[in-house]
Amino acid sequence: MAFLDIQSLDKRFGGVKAADSVTLSLKQGSLTALVGPNGCGKSTLFNLITGALKPDNGHIRFDDEEITALPSHEIARRGIGRKFQVPAVFPDLTVFENLTVPTLQKGRFFSRPGNSEKRMDILKTIRLREKQNELASTLSHGEKQWLEMGMILAQSPSLILLDEPTAGMTAAETAETAHLIRTINKGEGVTLLVIEHDIGFIEQLACPVNVMARGKILKSGTFQSIRNDLEVQELYFGRPEGPHA
Amino acid sequence: MRPLVPLLILAVLFAIAPLFVGSYWVSQLSYYLIYGLLALSLSLVWGYGGILCFGQAIFFGIGGYVMAAMTKGMISPFLINSYLSLFCSVFAASLFAVILGYFLFAGKGINGPYLAIVTLAIAIVLERLMSNWYAMGGYNGLLDIPPLNLGLFWFDYELWDSLPIFYTLLITVFVIFAGITLLLKSSYGTLLTALKTHPERLAFFGFSVLQIRLSVFALSAAIAGLSGALFVTVDGFASPTLIGFTLSTEILIWVAIGGKEMLMAAFLGAILTRFAENWLSEIFGDYWILLLGILFMISVVLLPKGLIATPLAALERKLGVRL
Repeated sequence: MAFLDIQSLDKRFGGVKAADSVTLSLKQGSLTALVGPNGCGKSTLFNLITGALKPDNGHIRFDDEEITALPSHEIARRGIGRKFQVPAVFPDLTVFENLTVPTLQKGRFFSRPGNSEKRMDILKTIRLREKQNELASTLSHGEKQWLEMGMILAQSPSLILLDEPTAGMTAAETAETAHLIRTINKGEGVTLLVIEHDIGFIEQLACPVNVMARGKILKSGTFQSIRNDLEVQELYFGRPEGPHA
Repeated sequence: MRPLVPLLILAVLFAIAPLFVGSYWVSQLSYYLIYGLLALSLSLVWGYGGILCFGQAIFFGIGGYVMAAMTKGMISPFLINSYLSLFCSVFAASLFAVILGYFLFAGKGINGPYLAIVTLAIAIVLERLMSNWYAMGGYNGLLDIPPLNLGLFWFDYELWDSLPIFYTLLITVFVIFAGITLLLKSSYGTLLTALKTHPERLAFFGFSVLQIRLSVFALSAAIAGLSGALFVTVDGFASPTLIGFTLSTEILIWVAIGGKEMLMAAFLGAILTRFAENWLSEIFGDYWILLLGILFMISVVLLPKGLIATPLAALERKLGVRL
Protein backbone atom coordinates (compact mmCIF):
# COMPACT_ATOMS: atom_id res chain seq x y z
CA MET A 1 0.00 0.00 0.00
CA ALA A 2 1.39 3.40 -1.04
CA PHE A 3 1.93 6.00 1.69
CA LEU A 4 0.77 8.79 -0.60
CA ASP A 5 -1.46 7.62 -3.42
CA ILE A 6 -2.61 10.10 -6.06
CA GLN A 7 -5.08 8.76 -8.63
CA SER A 8 -6.20 10.49 -11.86
CA LEU A 9 -6.02 14.00 -10.45
CA ASP A 10 -7.42 16.77 -12.66
CA LYS A 11 -7.35 20.54 -12.18
CA ARG A 12 -8.25 23.13 -14.79
CA PHE A 13 -7.81 26.90 -14.66
CA GLY A 14 -10.06 28.11 -17.48
CA GLY A 15 -8.70 26.48 -20.61
CA VAL A 16 -5.41 25.41 -18.99
CA LYS A 17 -5.03 21.90 -17.60
CA ALA A 18 -2.68 22.37 -14.64
CA ALA A 19 -3.12 18.74 -13.58
CA ASP A 20 -4.15 16.21 -16.22
CA SER A 21 -4.88 12.71 -14.87
CA VAL A 22 -1.89 12.84 -12.54
CA THR A 23 -1.18 9.50 -10.92
CA LEU A 24 1.69 9.19 -8.48
CA SER A 25 2.50 6.87 -5.59
CA LEU A 26 5.10 7.32 -2.86
CA LYS A 27 6.27 4.55 -0.56
CA GLN A 28 6.76 5.27 3.12
CA GLY A 29 10.31 6.45 3.79
CA SER A 30 11.01 7.23 0.13
CA LEU A 31 12.71 10.30 -1.34
CA THR A 32 11.35 11.37 -4.73
CA ALA A 33 12.04 14.33 -6.99
CA LEU A 34 9.59 16.10 -9.27
CA VAL A 35 11.04 18.16 -12.10
CA GLY A 36 9.65 20.00 -15.09
CA PRO A 37 9.66 23.36 -16.84
CA ASN A 38 7.94 26.43 -15.38
CA GLY A 39 4.16 26.24 -15.48
CA CYS A 40 4.06 22.46 -15.93
CA GLY A 41 1.88 22.01 -12.82
CA LYS A 42 4.38 21.01 -10.08
CA SER A 43 3.29 23.62 -7.55
CA THR A 44 -0.37 23.03 -8.48
CA LEU A 45 0.14 19.38 -7.57
CA PHE A 46 1.51 20.45 -4.15
CA ASN A 47 -1.47 22.79 -3.72
CA LEU A 48 -3.83 19.91 -4.49
CA ILE A 49 -2.11 17.52 -2.08
CA THR A 50 -2.10 20.07 0.77
CA GLY A 51 -5.71 21.21 0.27
CA ALA A 52 -4.89 24.73 -0.94
CA LEU A 53 -6.76 23.82 -4.14
CA LYS A 54 -9.62 21.38 -4.64
CA PRO A 55 -9.23 18.99 -7.59
CA ASP A 56 -11.89 18.78 -10.32
CA ASN A 57 -11.51 15.00 -10.39
CA GLY A 58 -9.41 12.28 -8.83
CA HIS A 59 -8.43 11.08 -5.38
CA ILE A 60 -5.60 11.57 -2.92
CA ARG A 61 -5.05 9.05 -0.15
CA PHE A 62 -2.48 9.55 2.58
CA ASP A 63 -1.57 6.83 5.06
CA ASP A 64 -4.62 4.85 3.93
CA GLU A 65 -7.03 7.76 4.43
CA GLU A 66 -8.88 9.82 1.84
CA ILE A 67 -7.72 13.46 2.17
CA THR A 68 -9.06 14.86 -1.12
CA ALA A 69 -11.77 17.13 0.28
CA LEU A 70 -10.06 18.12 3.53
CA PRO A 71 -9.02 21.72 4.34
CA SER A 72 -5.30 22.53 4.58
CA HIS A 73 -5.09 22.54 8.37
CA GLU A 74 -6.77 19.12 8.62
CA ILE A 75 -4.32 17.68 6.07
CA ALA A 76 -1.38 19.18 7.98
CA ARG A 77 -2.67 17.62 11.22
CA ARG A 78 -2.52 14.21 9.54
CA GLY A 79 1.23 14.64 9.09
CA ILE A 80 1.92 16.44 5.81
CA GLY A 81 4.39 19.33 5.99
CA ARG A 82 5.01 21.75 3.17
CA LYS A 83 7.79 24.17 2.32
CA PHE A 84 6.89 27.05 0.03
CA GLN A 85 8.88 28.21 -3.00
CA VAL A 86 9.38 31.67 -1.43
CA PRO A 87 10.43 31.08 2.20
CA ALA A 88 7.35 31.53 4.38
CA VAL A 89 8.57 32.42 7.86
CA PHE A 90 6.93 34.70 10.42
CA PRO A 91 8.97 37.92 10.13
CA ASP A 92 7.75 39.52 13.39
CA LEU A 93 8.73 36.49 15.49
CA THR A 94 12.24 35.54 16.55
CA VAL A 95 13.97 32.52 15.01
CA PHE A 96 13.23 30.46 18.14
CA GLU A 97 9.58 31.59 18.22
CA ASN A 98 9.28 30.58 14.56
CA LEU A 99 10.37 27.07 15.57
CA THR A 100 7.93 27.18 18.51
CA VAL A 101 4.79 27.85 16.46
CA PRO A 102 4.61 24.39 14.78
CA THR A 103 5.01 22.70 18.19
CA LEU A 104 1.97 24.43 19.74
CA GLN A 105 -1.06 22.21 20.20
CA LYS A 106 -3.47 22.44 17.26
CA GLY A 107 -7.10 23.36 17.91
CA ARG A 108 -6.27 25.08 21.20
CA PHE A 109 -5.45 28.72 21.79
CA PHE A 110 -3.34 28.13 24.87
CA SER A 111 -0.74 25.42 25.02
CA ARG A 112 2.81 24.88 26.11
CA PRO A 113 5.29 24.47 23.26
CA GLY A 114 6.74 21.03 22.61
CA ASN A 115 10.16 19.73 23.59
CA SER A 116 12.61 22.68 23.69
CA GLU A 117 15.60 20.30 23.41
CA LYS A 118 14.34 19.23 19.99
CA ARG A 119 14.07 22.85 18.91
CA MET A 120 17.63 23.49 20.09
CA ASP A 121 18.80 20.48 18.05
CA ILE A 122 16.96 21.84 15.01
CA LEU A 123 18.59 25.24 15.55
CA LYS A 124 21.95 23.49 15.47
CA THR A 125 21.01 21.52 12.34
CA ILE A 126 19.90 24.64 10.47
CA ARG A 127 22.90 26.59 11.83
CA LEU A 128 20.89 29.41 13.34
CA ARG A 129 21.71 28.86 17.02
CA GLU A 130 23.58 32.16 17.23
CA LYS A 131 20.60 33.99 15.77
CA GLN A 132 17.84 32.33 17.78
CA ASN A 133 16.74 35.61 19.43
CA GLU A 134 16.84 37.67 16.24
CA LEU A 135 13.71 38.51 14.30
CA ALA A 136 13.22 36.29 11.25
CA SER A 137 12.84 39.43 9.11
CA THR A 138 16.55 40.17 9.65
CA LEU A 139 17.75 36.83 8.15
CA SER A 140 19.23 36.43 4.68
CA HIS A 141 17.24 34.62 1.97
CA GLY A 142 19.22 31.40 2.40
CA GLU A 143 18.81 31.53 6.19
CA LYS A 144 15.06 31.98 5.79
CA GLN A 145 14.99 28.89 3.54
CA TRP A 146 16.75 26.92 6.26
CA LEU A 147 14.55 28.35 8.99
CA GLU A 148 11.46 27.21 7.11
CA MET A 149 13.01 23.75 6.79
CA GLY A 150 13.60 23.84 10.54
CA MET A 151 9.99 24.86 11.19
CA ILE A 152 8.79 21.86 9.16
CA LEU A 153 11.11 19.58 11.13
CA ALA A 154 9.66 21.00 14.36
CA GLN A 155 6.19 20.12 13.03
CA SER A 156 7.36 16.46 12.92
CA PRO A 157 5.44 15.44 9.77
CA SER A 158 5.67 12.00 8.20
CA LEU A 159 5.55 13.40 4.65
CA ILE A 160 7.36 16.59 3.62
CA LEU A 161 6.70 18.39 0.35
CA LEU A 162 9.59 20.72 -0.56
CA ASP A 163 8.98 23.31 -3.26
CA GLU A 164 12.35 24.43 -4.65
CA PRO A 165 14.21 24.27 -1.32
CA THR A 166 17.44 25.64 -2.79
CA ALA A 167 16.05 28.67 -4.66
CA GLY A 168 18.40 31.61 -4.13
CA MET A 169 21.07 29.52 -2.38
CA THR A 170 24.80 29.40 -3.14
CA ALA A 171 26.41 26.18 -4.45
CA ALA A 172 27.75 25.38 -0.97
CA GLU A 173 24.37 25.98 0.66
CA THR A 174 22.72 23.81 -2.01
CA ALA A 175 25.09 20.93 -1.25
CA GLU A 176 24.38 21.31 2.48
CA THR A 177 20.63 21.31 1.79
CA ALA A 178 20.96 18.09 -0.23
CA HIS A 179 22.83 16.55 2.71
CA LEU A 180 20.15 17.77 5.15
CA ILE A 181 17.35 16.30 3.03
CA ARG A 182 19.09 12.93 2.80
CA THR A 183 19.66 12.97 6.57
CA ILE A 184 15.96 13.70 7.24
CA ASN A 185 14.99 10.92 4.86
CA LYS A 186 17.44 8.22 5.94
CA GLY A 187 17.97 9.24 9.57
CA GLU A 188 14.38 9.97 10.58
CA GLY A 189 12.56 7.88 7.97
CA VAL A 190 10.50 10.81 6.73
CA THR A 191 8.99 10.53 3.24
CA LEU A 192 9.95 13.44 0.98
CA LEU A 193 8.74 14.76 -2.35
CA VAL A 194 10.97 17.51 -3.73
CA ILE A 195 10.26 19.96 -6.55
CA GLU A 196 13.46 21.40 -7.96
CA HIS A 197 14.78 23.11 -11.09
CA ASP A 198 18.46 22.65 -10.29
CA ILE A 199 19.41 19.39 -12.04
CA GLY A 200 22.74 19.30 -10.19
CA PHE A 201 20.82 19.31 -6.90
CA ILE A 202 18.58 16.46 -8.08
CA GLU A 203 21.70 14.47 -8.93
CA GLN A 204 23.03 15.04 -5.41
CA LEU A 205 19.77 13.69 -3.95
CA ALA A 206 20.32 10.43 -5.87
CA CYS A 207 16.64 9.49 -5.85
CA PRO A 208 13.89 8.47 -8.29
CA VAL A 209 12.77 11.33 -10.52
CA ASN A 210 9.36 12.14 -12.03
CA VAL A 211 9.16 14.58 -14.92
CA MET A 212 6.05 16.72 -15.35
CA ALA A 213 4.99 18.51 -18.53
CA ARG A 214 1.70 20.21 -19.39
CA GLY A 215 0.05 18.93 -16.22
CA LYS A 216 1.01 15.26 -16.79
CA ILE A 217 3.64 12.96 -15.33
CA LEU A 218 5.65 12.41 -18.50
CA LYS A 219 8.42 10.09 -17.30
CA SER A 220 9.55 8.33 -14.15
CA GLY A 221 12.87 6.68 -13.47
CA THR A 222 16.36 7.03 -12.08
CA PHE A 223 18.28 10.29 -12.50
CA GLN A 224 20.51 8.73 -15.20
CA SER A 225 17.60 7.33 -17.23
CA ILE A 226 15.76 10.65 -17.06
CA ARG A 227 18.84 12.65 -18.03
CA ASN A 228 19.45 10.46 -21.06
CA ASP A 229 15.82 10.41 -22.16
CA LEU A 230 15.39 12.17 -25.52
CA GLU A 231 11.84 13.28 -24.77
CA VAL A 232 12.96 14.94 -21.52
CA GLN A 233 15.91 16.58 -23.28
CA GLU A 234 13.50 17.89 -25.90
CA LEU A 235 11.26 19.22 -23.15
CA TYR A 236 14.09 21.23 -21.62
CA PHE A 237 16.16 22.18 -24.67
CA GLY A 238 13.61 22.08 -27.50
CA ARG A 239 13.38 19.88 -30.61
CA PRO A 240 16.71 19.70 -32.47
CA GLU A 241 16.63 21.34 -35.89
CA GLY A 242 18.58 20.71 -39.10
CA PRO A 243 19.40 17.63 -41.25
CA HIS A 244 20.29 15.38 -38.27
CA ALA A 245 17.06 16.05 -36.42
CA MET B 1 4.31 40.52 36.13
CA ARG B 2 7.02 42.62 34.46
CA PRO B 3 4.90 43.47 31.39
CA LEU B 4 2.31 44.99 33.72
CA VAL B 5 4.67 47.51 35.38
CA PRO B 6 4.20 50.31 32.78
CA LEU B 7 0.47 49.67 32.98
CA LEU B 8 0.47 50.01 36.77
CA ILE B 9 2.37 53.29 36.51
CA LEU B 10 -0.20 54.63 34.05
CA ALA B 11 -3.07 53.43 36.27
CA VAL B 12 -1.55 55.20 39.30
CA LEU B 13 -1.17 58.43 37.27
CA PHE B 14 -4.85 58.20 36.34
CA ALA B 15 -5.83 57.35 39.91
CA ILE B 16 -4.19 60.47 41.37
CA ALA B 17 -5.44 62.77 38.58
CA PRO B 18 -8.67 63.77 40.48
CA LEU B 19 -6.43 65.31 43.15
CA PHE B 20 -5.27 67.89 40.63
CA VAL B 21 -8.31 68.52 38.40
CA GLY B 22 -11.91 69.62 38.92
CA SER B 23 -15.06 67.54 38.53
CA TYR B 24 -15.46 68.55 34.84
CA TRP B 25 -12.11 67.00 33.97
CA VAL B 26 -12.79 63.95 36.14
CA SER B 27 -15.92 63.41 34.08
CA GLN B 28 -13.92 63.93 30.85
CA LEU B 29 -11.32 61.41 32.04
CA SER B 30 -14.13 58.85 32.45
CA TYR B 31 -15.02 59.30 28.79
CA TYR B 32 -11.32 59.09 27.84
CA LEU B 33 -11.01 55.77 29.67
CA ILE B 34 -13.96 54.38 27.68
CA TYR B 35 -12.48 55.62 24.39
CA GLY B 36 -9.14 54.15 25.43
CA LEU B 37 -10.82 50.78 25.99
CA LEU B 38 -12.44 51.04 22.57
CA ALA B 39 -9.03 51.81 21.02
CA LEU B 40 -7.57 48.74 22.77
CA SER B 41 -10.24 46.62 21.09
CA LEU B 42 -9.24 47.89 17.64
CA SER B 43 -5.52 47.59 18.38
CA LEU B 44 -6.07 43.94 19.32
CA VAL B 45 -7.92 43.01 16.14
CA TRP B 46 -6.03 45.26 13.71
CA GLY B 47 -2.54 45.68 15.13
CA TYR B 48 -2.16 42.16 16.53
CA GLY B 49 -4.70 40.10 14.55
CA GLY B 50 -4.05 41.80 11.19
CA ILE B 51 -7.79 42.33 10.59
CA LEU B 52 -8.49 45.88 9.47
CA CYS B 53 -11.98 46.43 10.83
CA PHE B 54 -13.27 49.79 9.63
CA GLY B 55 -16.53 49.32 11.52
CA GLN B 56 -15.44 48.93 15.13
CA ALA B 57 -18.31 51.24 16.15
CA ILE B 58 -20.71 48.44 15.13
CA PHE B 59 -19.80 46.54 18.29
CA PHE B 60 -19.61 49.69 20.42
CA GLY B 61 -23.12 50.59 19.26
CA ILE B 62 -24.53 47.09 19.77
CA GLY B 63 -23.15 47.07 23.32
CA GLY B 64 -24.58 50.54 23.95
CA TYR B 65 -28.05 49.80 22.59
CA VAL B 66 -28.38 46.44 24.37
CA MET B 67 -27.31 48.08 27.66
CA ALA B 68 -29.73 50.96 27.12
CA ALA B 69 -32.67 48.72 26.20
CA MET B 70 -32.12 46.38 29.14
CA THR B 71 -31.49 48.95 31.87
CA LYS B 72 -34.47 51.01 30.70
CA GLY B 73 -36.64 47.90 31.07
CA MET B 74 -37.51 47.79 27.35
CA ILE B 75 -36.79 44.05 27.13
CA SER B 76 -38.42 43.08 30.43
CA PRO B 77 -38.83 44.88 33.79
CA PHE B 78 -37.40 41.75 35.45
CA LEU B 79 -34.12 42.10 33.55
CA ILE B 80 -33.18 45.55 34.87
CA ASN B 81 -29.81 44.67 36.33
CA SER B 82 -26.52 46.33 35.46
CA TYR B 83 -24.44 43.15 35.72
CA LEU B 84 -26.83 41.12 33.56
CA SER B 85 -27.11 44.00 31.07
CA LEU B 86 -23.33 44.31 30.82
CA PHE B 87 -23.06 40.57 30.22
CA CYS B 88 -25.76 40.67 27.53
CA SER B 89 -24.14 43.71 25.85
CA VAL B 90 -20.79 41.95 25.64
CA PHE B 91 -22.41 38.70 24.51
CA ALA B 92 -24.53 40.40 21.81
CA ALA B 93 -21.52 42.26 20.38
CA SER B 94 -19.34 39.16 20.27
CA LEU B 95 -22.14 36.98 18.86
CA PHE B 96 -22.67 39.51 16.06
CA ALA B 97 -18.89 39.43 15.45
CA VAL B 98 -18.85 35.63 15.23
CA ILE B 99 -21.72 35.58 12.71
CA LEU B 100 -20.29 38.46 10.67
CA GLY B 101 -16.76 37.06 10.95
CA TYR B 102 -17.86 33.67 9.67
CA PHE B 103 -19.15 35.25 6.46
CA LEU B 104 -16.03 37.41 6.16
CA PHE B 105 -13.35 34.81 6.92
CA ALA B 106 -14.74 31.38 5.94
CA GLY B 107 -13.35 29.75 2.82
CA LYS B 108 -10.84 31.98 1.07
CA GLY B 109 -12.21 34.92 3.07
CA ILE B 110 -11.60 38.58 2.39
CA ASN B 111 -8.70 40.67 3.62
CA GLY B 112 -7.13 44.12 3.66
CA PRO B 113 -9.03 46.94 1.95
CA TYR B 114 -11.92 44.65 0.94
CA LEU B 115 -12.52 43.73 4.56
CA ALA B 116 -12.27 47.41 5.54
CA ILE B 117 -14.86 48.41 2.92
CA VAL B 118 -17.30 45.65 3.89
CA THR B 119 -17.11 46.42 7.63
CA LEU B 120 -17.50 50.14 6.94
CA ALA B 121 -20.53 49.44 4.75
CA ILE B 122 -22.09 47.36 7.53
CA ALA B 123 -21.54 50.24 9.99
CA ILE B 124 -23.36 52.60 7.61
CA VAL B 125 -26.22 50.12 7.11
CA LEU B 126 -26.63 49.65 10.87
CA GLU B 127 -26.54 53.41 11.45
CA ARG B 128 -29.39 53.79 8.94
CA LEU B 129 -31.24 50.91 10.54
CA MET B 130 -31.02 52.42 14.03
CA SER B 131 -32.03 55.85 12.66
CA ASN B 132 -35.25 54.31 11.35
CA TRP B 133 -35.96 51.85 14.15
CA TYR B 134 -38.47 53.89 16.11
CA ALA B 135 -38.90 51.35 18.89
CA MET B 136 -35.21 51.98 19.69
CA GLY B 137 -35.59 55.74 19.59
CA GLY B 138 -34.97 56.17 15.87
CA TYR B 139 -32.89 59.17 14.83
CA ASN B 140 -33.29 60.81 18.27
CA GLY B 141 -31.95 57.78 20.11
CA LEU B 142 -32.73 56.55 23.62
CA LEU B 143 -32.67 59.08 26.46
CA ASP B 144 -32.53 58.78 30.25
CA ILE B 145 -30.47 55.62 30.39
CA PRO B 146 -29.92 54.81 34.08
CA PRO B 147 -26.37 54.87 35.45
CA LEU B 148 -24.50 51.73 36.49
CA ASN B 149 -25.94 50.13 39.59
CA LEU B 150 -23.22 48.24 41.44
CA GLY B 151 -25.63 47.03 44.12
CA LEU B 152 -26.38 43.37 44.72
CA PHE B 153 -29.73 41.79 45.65
CA TRP B 154 -31.79 44.35 47.64
CA PHE B 155 -28.89 46.79 48.07
CA ASP B 156 -28.67 49.55 45.42
CA TYR B 157 -25.60 51.60 44.63
CA GLU B 158 -26.14 53.77 41.55
CA LEU B 159 -23.19 55.67 40.16
CA TRP B 160 -24.37 59.26 39.77
CA ASP B 161 -21.27 61.22 40.84
CA SER B 162 -18.27 61.68 38.60
CA LEU B 163 -15.72 60.38 41.10
CA PRO B 164 -17.20 56.89 41.76
CA ILE B 165 -17.90 56.57 38.02
CA PHE B 166 -14.29 57.45 37.26
CA TYR B 167 -12.80 54.95 39.72
CA THR B 168 -15.16 52.16 38.62
CA LEU B 169 -14.15 52.74 35.01
CA LEU B 170 -10.48 53.03 35.96
CA ILE B 171 -10.51 49.62 37.63
CA THR B 172 -12.56 48.01 34.83
CA VAL B 173 -10.44 49.43 32.01
CA PHE B 174 -7.09 48.62 33.58
CA VAL B 175 -8.10 45.08 34.56
CA ILE B 176 -9.08 44.46 30.91
CA PHE B 177 -5.92 46.21 29.69
CA ALA B 178 -3.82 43.93 31.91
CA GLY B 179 -5.79 40.89 30.71
CA ILE B 180 -5.12 41.70 27.04
CA THR B 181 -1.44 42.38 27.80
CA LEU B 182 -1.04 38.96 29.45
CA LEU B 183 -3.04 37.28 26.70
CA LEU B 184 -0.68 38.65 24.07
CA LYS B 185 2.32 37.32 26.02
CA SER B 186 0.86 33.80 25.90
CA SER B 187 0.95 31.24 23.09
CA TYR B 188 -2.24 32.88 21.79
CA GLY B 189 -0.27 36.10 21.22
CA THR B 190 2.40 34.17 19.31
CA LEU B 191 -0.31 32.64 17.10
CA LEU B 192 -1.80 36.10 16.45
CA THR B 193 1.58 37.49 15.40
CA ALA B 194 2.04 34.52 13.07
CA LEU B 195 -1.50 34.89 11.73
CA LYS B 196 -0.98 38.56 10.91
CA THR B 197 1.95 37.97 8.59
CA HIS B 198 1.46 34.50 7.15
CA PRO B 199 -1.95 32.88 7.64
CA GLU B 200 -1.32 30.26 4.93
CA ARG B 201 1.85 29.11 6.66
CA LEU B 202 -0.09 28.75 9.91
CA ALA B 203 -2.76 26.66 8.15
CA PHE B 204 -0.09 24.35 6.70
CA PHE B 205 1.14 23.76 10.26
CA GLY B 206 -2.33 22.48 11.17
CA PHE B 207 -3.93 25.58 12.72
CA SER B 208 -7.43 26.63 11.74
CA VAL B 209 -7.01 30.20 10.53
CA LEU B 210 -10.78 30.69 10.62
CA GLN B 211 -10.92 29.68 14.29
CA ILE B 212 -8.12 32.06 15.32
CA ARG B 213 -9.54 34.94 13.25
CA LEU B 214 -13.04 34.45 14.67
CA SER B 215 -11.68 34.30 18.22
CA VAL B 216 -9.77 37.58 17.99
CA PHE B 217 -12.61 39.28 16.11
CA ALA B 218 -15.13 38.18 18.77
CA LEU B 219 -12.84 39.13 21.65
CA SER B 220 -12.25 42.56 20.17
CA ALA B 221 -16.00 42.98 19.61
CA ALA B 222 -16.68 41.95 23.22
CA ILE B 223 -14.32 44.66 24.49
CA ALA B 224 -15.84 47.23 22.13
CA GLY B 225 -19.32 46.12 23.24
CA LEU B 226 -18.36 46.56 26.89
CA SER B 227 -17.01 50.04 26.20
CA GLY B 228 -20.27 50.93 24.40
CA ALA B 229 -22.32 49.62 27.34
CA LEU B 230 -20.25 51.62 29.83
CA PHE B 231 -20.48 54.71 27.61
CA VAL B 232 -24.29 54.84 27.60
CA THR B 233 -24.46 54.48 31.39
CA VAL B 234 -22.11 57.46 31.77
CA ASP B 235 -23.65 59.54 28.99
CA GLY B 236 -27.27 58.56 29.64
CA PHE B 237 -27.92 58.64 25.90
CA ALA B 238 -27.68 56.14 23.02
CA SER B 239 -28.02 57.42 19.46
CA PRO B 240 -27.32 56.02 15.96
CA THR B 241 -23.98 57.90 15.91
CA LEU B 242 -22.66 55.30 18.37
CA ILE B 243 -22.87 52.59 15.72
CA GLY B 244 -21.98 54.45 12.56
CA PHE B 245 -19.43 55.70 10.10
CA THR B 246 -18.08 58.76 11.94
CA LEU B 247 -17.17 57.02 15.17
CA SER B 248 -15.72 54.04 13.24
CA THR B 249 -13.41 56.39 11.36
CA GLU B 250 -12.46 58.28 14.51
CA ILE B 251 -11.44 55.08 16.33
CA LEU B 252 -9.27 54.14 13.38
CA ILE B 253 -7.58 57.55 13.44
CA TRP B 254 -6.93 57.38 17.22
CA VAL B 255 -5.32 53.97 16.85
CA ALA B 256 -3.34 54.85 13.71
CA ILE B 257 -2.04 58.06 15.31
CA GLY B 258 -1.13 56.28 18.54
CA GLY B 259 0.24 53.08 16.98
CA LYS B 260 -1.82 50.00 16.23
CA GLU B 261 0.85 47.47 17.13
CA MET B 262 1.31 48.65 20.71
CA LEU B 263 -1.61 48.53 23.15
CA MET B 264 -0.25 51.38 25.28
CA ALA B 265 0.22 53.60 22.20
CA ALA B 266 -3.30 52.89 20.90
CA PHE B 267 -4.76 53.60 24.35
CA LEU B 268 -2.85 56.87 24.71
CA GLY B 269 -3.61 57.73 21.07
CA ALA B 270 -7.34 57.68 21.81
CA ILE B 271 -6.99 59.70 25.00
CA LEU B 272 -4.64 62.34 23.60
CA THR B 273 -6.68 62.74 20.40
CA ARG B 274 -9.87 63.24 22.40
CA PHE B 275 -8.04 65.65 24.69
CA ALA B 276 -6.74 67.55 21.63
CA GLU B 277 -10.28 67.65 20.27
CA ASN B 278 -11.54 69.24 23.50
CA TRP B 279 -8.77 71.77 23.53
CA LEU B 280 -8.39 72.57 19.82
CA SER B 281 -12.09 72.67 18.98
CA GLU B 282 -12.44 75.53 21.48
CA ILE B 283 -9.77 77.49 19.61
CA PHE B 284 -10.38 76.48 15.97
CA GLY B 285 -14.02 75.39 16.02
CA ASP B 286 -14.82 72.85 13.31
CA TYR B 287 -11.44 73.48 11.65
CA TRP B 288 -9.79 71.30 14.25
CA ILE B 289 -10.80 68.32 12.07
CA LEU B 290 -8.36 69.66 9.46
CA LEU B 291 -5.57 69.61 12.04
CA LEU B 292 -6.52 66.05 12.96
CA GLY B 293 -6.37 65.11 9.27
CA ILE B 294 -2.91 66.64 8.92
CA LEU B 295 -1.77 64.78 12.05
CA PHE B 296 -3.14 61.55 10.60
CA MET B 297 -1.28 62.09 7.32
CA ILE B 298 1.98 62.85 9.15
CA SER B 299 1.51 59.68 11.14
CA VAL B 300 0.78 57.50 8.09
CA VAL B 301 3.52 58.93 5.86
CA LEU B 302 6.35 59.76 8.25
CA LEU B 303 5.74 57.57 11.28
CA PRO B 304 3.70 54.55 10.11
CA LYS B 305 4.28 52.80 13.43
CA GLY B 306 2.39 55.66 15.12
CA LEU B 307 3.18 59.07 16.61
CA ILE B 308 3.15 57.65 20.13
CA ALA B 309 4.41 54.13 19.41
CA THR B 310 7.62 55.39 17.76
CA PRO B 311 8.98 57.26 20.83
CA LEU B 312 7.61 54.56 23.14
CA ALA B 313 9.47 51.90 21.12
CA ALA B 314 12.68 53.94 21.51
CA LEU B 315 11.99 54.13 25.26
CA GLU B 316 11.42 50.36 25.32
CA ARG B 317 14.82 49.75 23.76
CA LYS B 318 16.49 52.15 26.21
CA LEU B 319 14.86 50.73 29.34
CA GLY B 320 14.75 47.12 28.15
CA VAL B 321 11.02 46.72 28.98
CA ARG B 322 7.99 46.05 26.80
CA LEU B 323 5.23 48.69 26.93
